[in-house]
Amino acid sequence: MNKSDYIYLDHAATTPMREVAFEAYKKTEMDAYANSSGGHALSRKAKNILEESRDYIASCFGAAPNEITFTSGGTEADNWIIKTPFIDKDTTAELTTTQIEHEAVLASAENVHSKGFNVNFVSCDDEGVTNIDEFKKSINSNTLIASVMYANNETGVVQPIEEMAKIVKNINPDTLFHSDVVQAVATKKLNFHNLGIESAAISGHKIGGPKGIGVMFLKTGYKIPSFLHGGKQELERRAGTVNVSGVAGLAAALKEQQNNLDKDIELIENEKAIFENNLKKNIELRVVGENVERLCHISNIQFKDINSETLMVALDLNGMGVSRGSACASGAQKPSHVLKAMKVDEQVINNHLRFSFGWNTQKNDGVKCAQIVEKTIKELS
Amino acid sequence: MRILVAMSGGVDSSVVAGLLKSQGHEVIGVTMKLWEGPNGEMPETGCCTSADSEDARKVAAKLDIPYYVLDYTASFSENVIDNFVDMYAQGLTPNPCVECNRSVKFDHFIDQANKLNCEKVATGHYAKIVKNNNIYELHKADYLDKDQSYVLHMLDSQKLENIEFPLGTISKPEVRQIAASLGLKTAFKKDSQDICFVGKKDYRNFVSKRIDVSSKGLIVDKNENEMGTHGGIHAYTIGQRKGVPGGQGEAKYVTKIDVENNKIYIGSKDELTTKKFILDEVTFVNEVEYENLSIQTRYNSEDVPCSIEKIDESTYQIVLKTPTMGVAPGQFGVIYNDTKLVGGGRITSKVLEDVYE
Repeated sequence: MNKSDYIYLDHAATTPMREVAFEAYKKTEMDAYANSSGGHALSRKAKNILEESRDYIASCFGAAPNEITFTSGGTEADNWIIKTPFIDKDTTAELTTTQIEHEAVLASAENVHSKGFNVNFVSCDDEGVTNIDEFKKSINSNTLIASVMYANNETGVVQPIEEMAKIVKNINPDTLFHSDVVQAVATKKLNFHNLGIESAAISGHKIGGPKGIGVMFLKTGYKIPSFLHGGKQELERRAGTVNVSGVAGLAAALKEQQNNLDKDIELIENEKAIFENNLKKNIELRVVGENVERLCHISNIQFKDINSETLMVALDLNGMGVSRGSACASGAQKPSHVLKAMKVDEQVINNHLRFSFGWNTQKNDGVKCAQIVEKTIKELS
Repeated sequence: MRILVAMSGGVDSSVVAGLLKSQGHEVIGVTMKLWEGPNGEMPETGCCTSADSEDARKVAAKLDIPYYVLDYTASFSENVIDNFVDMYAQGLTPNPCVECNRSVKFDHFIDQANKLNCEKVATGHYAKIVKNNNIYELHKADYLDKDQSYVLHMLDSQKLENIEFPLGTISKPEVRQIAASLGLKTAFKKDSQDICFVGKKDYRNFVSKRIDVSSKGLIVDKNENEMGTHGGIHAYTIGQRKGVPGGQGEAKYVTKIDVENNKIYIGSKDELTTKKFILDEVTFVNEVEYENLSIQTRYNSEDVPCSIEKIDESTYQIVLKTPTMGVAPGQFGVIYNDTKLVGGGRITSKVLEDVYE
């Protein structure tokens, strides 16, 4: 099969790099490859690219430049924010998060729990929205951090972040309100300060930027211990030679994304609706989170009587790449903790597939993709 | 044709994928994830480790075929592991490979292949499928040292129509040679002999973690003389010598396991021999046959000439021409006519009545 004929519907996992991002990455690597901490002309050039990129990236999220620290990705940012503040605390300190977080947050929270701290994993309803009352009850004077993802990476379901941020601040103004916005930034314009988000994790490759670059946003006034120790880069917050090319690529990707965002959202929303509606005509299915706010690019579908592991293989053989749940080390994909938290019935928990569109989705993709899925399902039976 | 190949990451299934691909078939490689740790991780020892699936992936990449790791853990746990533990608890000697073939590999896997529009499934088993007047027969592999037809006895003609065993006519050294000539990294990989989910560890620990086996009991001889005590019957199998109290310089073996009374019987080597026993859950590849038969009572054991007597559709009495040692209830008796596999079934505990006649 010709690679260009392959239909990629797994943008929630990662996106192809935008041409502009690749060019910016390459140009920086070629022309400004020096260490941005150095004292010569080439270093100044790199440092300049780094700081201009930081300024621009900060402005995209309504943040100040010194609130932005570059990391290796979303996972590092989540680990850093969730784990390090507990290092010097006694075990009365508490963490609140939800059962549907990305593994980067969940595993970090479990790590905190393993050190003897109380961690509240707040449940969600059957549409995948966090239970607000339970969340509220979990916040108290000991809550050091409350961490809630802006939107879920498997279902696309948007969480009531603003409301939760307010709840946290009303109960305990000292609690840091963190949000993993990795999936949301793909198709949402976010202003952290307006939303009440005080720290956030961003990943470059979800928006057409390079892999291996991310952002840790932390509101001015908060300080957290370093996660990586060594040189004095990034205002002494994070050691290690800064990935300036990655940063330049991320800034370029973000620029193209922000310039086209309204138009892209409209197109993706439309194609996804066509995709879901066309499928519904001939196939028995349920769209997860259909009655609540979802990110426009994610469609998590529960098929009736179709094992999604087999369907995923059949789709791949027919030239379409989708995802099923979280992949384990072996590559086998299992029903995720998210569907379990939503109390999806055991009979159908193996019948879910995630189709995710992205920045290079084209008009008519909805029709085309629905046809392939329908044809593949017919072949299965 | 489109063929789904079960790839364990070993040399045999690697060569199967390579041979079928070179014959022009559309080959799809699958590693069945059968067993996992509490956090979904693949085991570190035994077979089916993550290193094995990585080998399979590399072979598939080298052959340029699609490759998937598919989750069979639920089916495996229910049909193979639960059964393995239960059988030991009942004083029987399980054969997890037969269970796995019966209810996972040649059931669930064939279903999945059908759904994926594959005309056949193929595995790296050493056995031969022979088409004879539109009937499919199962035969021992030409290379008898490696013959695995025993663990495939439950396949009937209808199932065999959907299966390929490309290694049935090839010797192990040839398999390694083919792997090397195809440039497959598994060419000189060591064969795995362990029970895949137990690995090199003692199966007794595996069992005792899963069931309550703490009840101590007596070890006695055939005349009920007390010879010692045991810490749970799961740790004993018929014919076992290890951990059995000896007597006056003569080696003693486990001859019978009495679950009801929590008793282990031991005796001399002679007392281990059996002449008659009963098979249940009997299936035949095609029709039942009565002439020129022999039986294997363990994987790769010698063929013992025998005759069979029907009790009902799925229960047969086996009469051995020569008394044989170590016939263990729970294992399978597989009946052959020369190299042709006729059928097989599970050895029941009624076998041991003979010993105490």
